[in-house]
Amino acid sequence: MSQTTRNWIKDGLWAVVFAGLVASVIRFAGGLGAATGLNDSAPWGLWIAFKLVFVALAGGGFTLAAMVYIFRLERYRPILRRAILVALLGYGAFIVSLIFDLGLPWHIYMPVLNWQHHSVMFEIAWCVMLYFSVLVLEFSPAILEHHWFRRPPFGMLLRWLHRLTLPLIVAGIVLSTLHQSSLGSLFLIMPHRVHPLWYSPWLPYLFFTSAIAAGMTALIVEGFFVERWFGRGLDLDLLARLGKGAVLPLGLYLALRLGDLWLRGVLPRALDGSWQSILFLAEIVAGGFLPLVLFSLRKVRRSREGLLTGAGLVILGITSQRMSLSLFTMYRAEGTSYVPSLGETLIAFAIPAAAALLYLLFAETLPLFGKQAEGPGNEAPVVPSPGAAAFSIRDTWGRGIAARRSGFAVIVVALLLPVLSLKSQTPVSPVTAAVGWEVLEIDGNRSGYAVDFPHLEHQERLMNESTGESNCRECHHLDLPGDRATACSACHAEYYRPVSIFDHSFHRQALGGNDSCLECHDPEHTALTGTICRDCHEDMVPGEGQAAFSMAALSYKDALHGRCLGCHEREALAQSRPELVLCSTCHSLAGQSPVTFDD
Amino acid sequence: MSRTPKQVGLLVDVTRCTGCNRCVEACAEANRLGQPDVTLQQSPDGLSARRWASIVESPAGGFVRKFCRHCLEPACVSVCPVGAMYRTPEGVVLYDSRKCMGCRYCMMACPFGIPRYEWESSAPLVRKCTLCYDRLKDGGLPACVEACPEGVLAFGERSELLALARRRLQEAAPLYLPKIYGEHEIGGAAVMYISHVPLDFLGYHGEPGEEPMPELTWDWLAKVPAVALGVAGLMTGLLWIIGRRIQAEASRQARLPARPIEEQK
Repeated sequence: MSQTTRNWIKDGLWAVVFAGLVASVIRFAGGLGAATGLNDSAPWGLWIAFKLVFVALAGGGFTLAAMVYIFRLERYRPILRRAILVALLGYGAFIVSLIFDLGLPWHIYMPVLNWQHHSVMFEIAWCVMLYFSVLVLEFSPAILEHHWFRRPPFGMLLRWLHRLTLPLIVAGIVLSTLHQSSLGSLFLIMPHRVHPLWYSPWLPYLFFTSAIAAGMTALIVEGFFVERWFGRGLDLDLLARLGKGAVLPLGLYLALRLGDLWLRGVLPRALDGSWQSILFLAEIVAGGFLPLVLFSLRKVRRSREGLLTGAGLVILGITSQRMSLSLFTMYRAEGTSYVPSLGETLIAFAIPAAAALLYLLFAETLPLFGKQAEGPGNEAPVVPSPGAAAFSIRDTWGRGIAARRSGFAVIVVALLLPVLSLKSQTPVSPVTAAVGWEVLEIDGNRSGYAVDFPHLEHQERLMNESTGESNCRECHHLDLPGDRATACSACHAEYYRPVSIFDHSFHRQALGGNDSCLECHDPEHTALTGTICRDCHEDMVPGEGQAAFSMAALSYKDALHGRCLGCHEREALAQSRPELVLCSTCHSLAGQSPVTFDD
Repeated sequence: MSRTPKQVGLLVDVTRCTGCNRCVEACAEANRLGQPDVTLQQSPDGLSARRWASIVESPAGGFVRKFCRHCLEPACVSVCPVGAMYRTPEGVVLYDSRKCMGCRYCMMACPFGIPRYEWESSAPLVRKCTLCYDRLKDGGLPACVEACPEGVLAFGERSELLALARRRLQEAAPLYLPKIYGEHEIGGAAVMYISHVPLDFLGYHGEPGEEPMPELTWDWLAKVPAVALGVAGLMTGLLWIIGRRIQAEASRQARLPARPIEEQK
């Protein structure tokens, strides 16, 4: 990879980070509502989904630590330090995302003061806090070995850290086991939100095994990246062994996942043809079984293409599992939706972009590549001078990098600010409930143009007219048994057509099946010989102004028009106010009815 | 010794509700909620940070008051990592904004989708019905109960309300569905309904089952200490065993070719 390409990639990462910084101003100044598409129906969104992915990709840290220190698989030691760095950055990204996502981030220390052993989130908070500290300690020898720190107090610190290595490693493994699985347990309590194909009582085990698989494959991808970026020789043998090792957790994950769905009888839903089932199948087949086969075949996993493809597929599959579970397939309340806003998306990507830049900074300045990594026979490594482009003041073209970057920043800010100030579109509800507020928005045909009906004013007006009593029945006529104010749309269910409100099969069944025809149809069963409802249901009284009770309800439009216009026509004559019957009285463009009862 | 306060409750008789909305207005007034901040299209059920109760239409007809159920084993309380959601001795589920860090897990966990968030605020809080706890403390009634003109809402001890509900179900049997909503589901709730229409639609997605929600996670959390100790023990054990074997192997290797047999005595 040429220096120019590297510079461009870094500039791209910087641009994303800048964009995220702009959006984060909106996030913290205006609140979550101003910066995100989150709403009461989607309290968790893109950021949570990304966090789950960050932590999965960081799973290589404790996996490799266990392999090297516990199982003494010394051949993996050359990549251990990088594995810990990837984990450190993954968890760092998790914590930064959390600060964006929390409504009151300055209360982030509260779990330390208020212990809640029954909360999964409490356990995760503690584990992440402790494990992040462990990772910092595990990684700090790499920093302390830098020539800046070759001084007495640091030397002693380094010796102490070396002595602490084994306890730290064991603590890291315990903490990772706990919270990797607990991330899945977060969703155990919400079967009402998680799609059945992703819900499982075994979510903790699924998250644990998948994190190991994702962590190992992330290190394979990282190995290829290091080769391209730093020109280091690729230790294909080591990475292929890692791929082979990932077969176990991946296979376990797939077996647990499908086994649980099968045992609980949910598996047939994978074939019901819904988009969720297709996503599920793609995730399981392309992101699970296919890489499993690729990694199991010795020839494939020892080829560069095979190994990289397999690793990429595993990461895609596990990313899909976590994002589908927490984002794509979550049930939302009827009539609501969640679309991440632009600012939210920018922040979501800016955090991993910043982590990538930090990775480059560490990789360029710290002794991350053990001697073993430069295997014999490799061409002379093209080691970029430390901090070549990411962090020094001048790049290879001799221009000021700071100047170029600030130029980038200005352009990004200028482009984003007007766009970010646009609010995401509010979802359109199909429900037009005639309840709730002083003024009701009645949008029968869901066109987006509602009639603003001043319900309270009508209520008061009608109350004054009669003898001080409320007269809700003027509009809410009593039809259904046991109900004093059936909503209009309960019977007038269609907007343009009259609908039948008589449930024939229900009555037939209630009265005793086909023997019972004559109970209502006398002397023979034809449509013309039906008994009227009131003969049996004495409390089913036709409302005022209703000629008779019939089996058909008027269309919603006709019912409402009839109900309103009857009074409006009468009052228009009585009060000599012809405007009362104009269409525009109710259907005004401004939304508000210009006529009030005051005049 | 002070007596444990009795579990309070609120019984909603859906058959009596005319949907006049006075309870919602009284709630807004008593809790100083101001004007509603969302349109019907943003919040189909009418609940928001500024409306802790609403009247919703049942799909089968009839008006149903939607508000916090004050569950006996609340999901929101069990998931809160900081104890910001808590249950008072009287069984009212309250929220302490001084502890909340805004993770919104309570909103995700509530099987009825009740808690709402102040999305437009830069220091947002979770808001929901408090059963007018401060009024109860002063010996009063919740504002909604006082405001209802039709006697839909009855407040009192939960056990007495259950008896009242059973009496009504018995006396006017054909009117009601033979069920007290909130008596048993997810471990029971302080707020109960009797109704002529099914109320399953109040659940966030489908009707909640009988099992209390916290048990769904407790099955896992109860294992956490054992898992922690087990993994720690296993790892230390493996470390020791594998380390010893490697050491033994190394010393064997070092010994074998170098030392003649006589020296081993």
